[in-house]
Amino acid sequence: MNLVLAWLYPDSMSIYGDRGNVIALTRRAEWRGIALEVWRLPKGARLDQLPDLVMFGGGQDREQRLIERDFLELKGETLVRAVEEDVPVLAVCGGFQQLGHGYRDADGSSIQGLGILDASTVAPSDKARRCIGNIVVEAHLPDGDATSGGVLVGFENHGGRTRLGKCEPLGRVLKGFGNNGEDGQEGARYRYCFGTYMHGSLLPKNPWFTDYLLLQALRRKYGPEITLEPLDDALELRAQSAAIARAR
Amino acid sequence: MQALPLRHTVAVAVGRAAGLASRRLRLGGGTTIPGAVARRIDARVTRHLAARLAGGCVLVSGTNGKTTTSRLLAAMLRGAGYRVVHNRAGANLMAGVTTALLSQHGDSGLFEVDEAVLPAAIRELKPRLVLCLNLFRDQLDRYGELNTLASRWQQALATLPASATAVLNADDPLVASIGASLACRTVFFGLETVDHRQTDMQHAADSLYCPRCSGQLDFEAVYLGHLGHYCCPICGWRRPDPSFALTGIRLDPAGPTQLRLRAESHELAIEANLPGLYNAYNVLAAAAAALTLGAAGEQVSAAVGGFTAAFGRTETMRLDGRQLRLMLAKNPVGCNEVIRTLLLDPDPLNLYLVLNDRVADGEDVSWIWDVDFELLAGRCRTVILGGTRAEDLAVRLKYAGFPTSELPLEGNQEAAIRALLARTPDGGRAYAVPTYTAMLDLRRTLTDMGAAGQFWED
Repeated sequence: MNLVLAWLYPDSMSIYGDRGNVIALTRRAEWRGIALEVWRLPKGARLDQLPDLVMFGGGQDREQRLIERDFLELKGETLVRAVEEDVPVLAVCGGFQQLGHGYRDADGSSIQGLGILDASTVAPSDKARRCIGNIVVEAHLPDGDATSGGVLVGFENHGGRTRLGKCEPLGRVLKGFGNNGEDGQEGARYRYCFGTYMHGSLLPKNPWFTDYLLLQALRRKYGPEITLEPLDDALELRAQSAAIARAR
Repeated sequence: MQALPLRHTVAVAVGRAAGLASRRLRLGGGTTIPGAVARRIDARVTRHLAARLAGGCVLVSGTNGKTTTSRLLAAMLRGAGYRVVHNRAGANLMAGVTTALLSQHGDSGLFEVDEAVLPAAIRELKPRLVLCLNLFRDQLDRYGELNTLASRWQQALATLPASATAVLNADDPLVASIGASLACRTVFFGLETVDHRQTDMQHAADSLYCPRCSGQLDFEAVYLGHLGHYCCPICGWRRPDPSFALTGIRLDPAGPTQLRLRAESHELAIEANLPGLYNAYNVLAAAAAALTLGAAGEQVSAAVGGFTAAFGRTETMRLDGRQLRLMLAKNPVGCNEVIRTLLLDPDPLNLYLVLNDRVADGEDVSWIWDVDFELLAGRCRTVILGGTRAEDLAVRLKYAGFPTSELPLEGNQEAAIRALLARTPDGGRAYAVPTYTAMLDLRRTLTDMGAAGQFWED
């Protein structure tokens, strides 16, 4: 079996270690004998074929502005189709905001998003605190089997406050701020497209979620009977507990 | 000279007394408390103290290399006859600068300042020279975003008069672009050598876009992180030509680094007991500032020749018949450079990696996923992990291709050092690679083990 992962803006939208998500997906596929090919799609590159997985990381405000048009014009159309066809997508922080309706800055300027996720982000005034710190979330995912729910731990660092419209959150905040620090929601989900504020990197310390994304990609491509061989996750789970213990 | 207000005199006296008390009582913190106390009493105490320095002040800032560069520069300036007041222990917020001003006598100030503090330091100290090293992604949880920081630097430097000088890194697009609209004199330094030149950018690199028109920059050469030779294919903006350049760099894992420096009209051979390409940049930056301030070429090379690194930055000590080398790694680019330096060692590596997530380290440890630990897989004999987030490091190394059975975690620093040395062959080399607060802890541990002196005494 093999998978193709489209990595959007690996150079400019990959701060705070979001590359770790790509590394985790690649390794955990590899350890099971599944080849995972990565398409690196920087500014200027067009996404025209459907990949099996999509990863879109966070960037600084300036980088988000720089890719705004490129994202809508060269990647947007295929990405919408991928989501509608149940390709798993993980978008972190800036990527999450741009899969939503976009981002409106305190000075009135705005970044237009793709609107796949019914999520709108507003930057509060300069004086407002950024949401920074370790975050623990109880996730709620579709398909109620044993691998579909659980705790996620990460690190958030965002100025923007996001509110959801009709879509579901990725989960409920146990510790930390989440989308806006007020409604207890973290991230967003539509079909298998997930937006989140969690860096950390998110996937290495939450191996069940990595496997959830891999399994969905494989089942979509090779059929619903596919299962994943379990791995020894002792180190990952120890790191997860240690990070949960650091969250205040 | 205008009489100073009584408040100033009281602030100075109380600040000094606080320093004396904290030393007597062995409370530590002697490098910041006096300044903090004095500033509480008189908010203008720092500017008054600085104004008394006839030779003016020099500031050094940047993400990586502040402490080593300012120590190098201090040695060069002393060699050139300056009597330098210097926050050499690396206390680089305004309280640390003020403490140095309160506790030392001299005719000139030399201060390393935190990136976020540079604007305040420029306002209060009215420097005659500001040395800007680099801007890397470091602790975004503390500083906010890189471009915001660069524009704050730009605004602060724009207040300097024509008599002042900004010494800027030509190889860092973000730093070099600051030089465009300044009233003061600008001087650039950079690397002009085929040695250690790469053509591929590391993942950890920042600032890939033109600071003027936001076009994607073309890099013809990359030396370290995003430092290199670049131009913008859209607006034509390019790296300024440096008037101080390294034209040759020879790194040797066992011996000193050999550098060839081109300074305006002449060439200089420099030998430095500092490993790694990042230290070549530090020497170049310090030399550019010292030569601009009137030091002679031979004073510069003599100062570098007699130099040993600040504690923890890169320090070599002997313990139990082994050589232990400490290398601070506090952000992705810095850590990648440490890895590049480790790879110069031809023997299997013996490593103790320590990752802390305290406030001064940055509480976000995501950055370890931007570090190319993959390069070390298969090159190590021993790896011991420690720090408040040792578990995260273990996962990172597992995913970098290290066998999981060879990743022991040791929470006790002394036990970790003992285990590291026990697994290092007699007469061999071992390396400790800590983050910032882990480095401070390690200092205490090694002091207790009899391997290092008191921090604030150096």
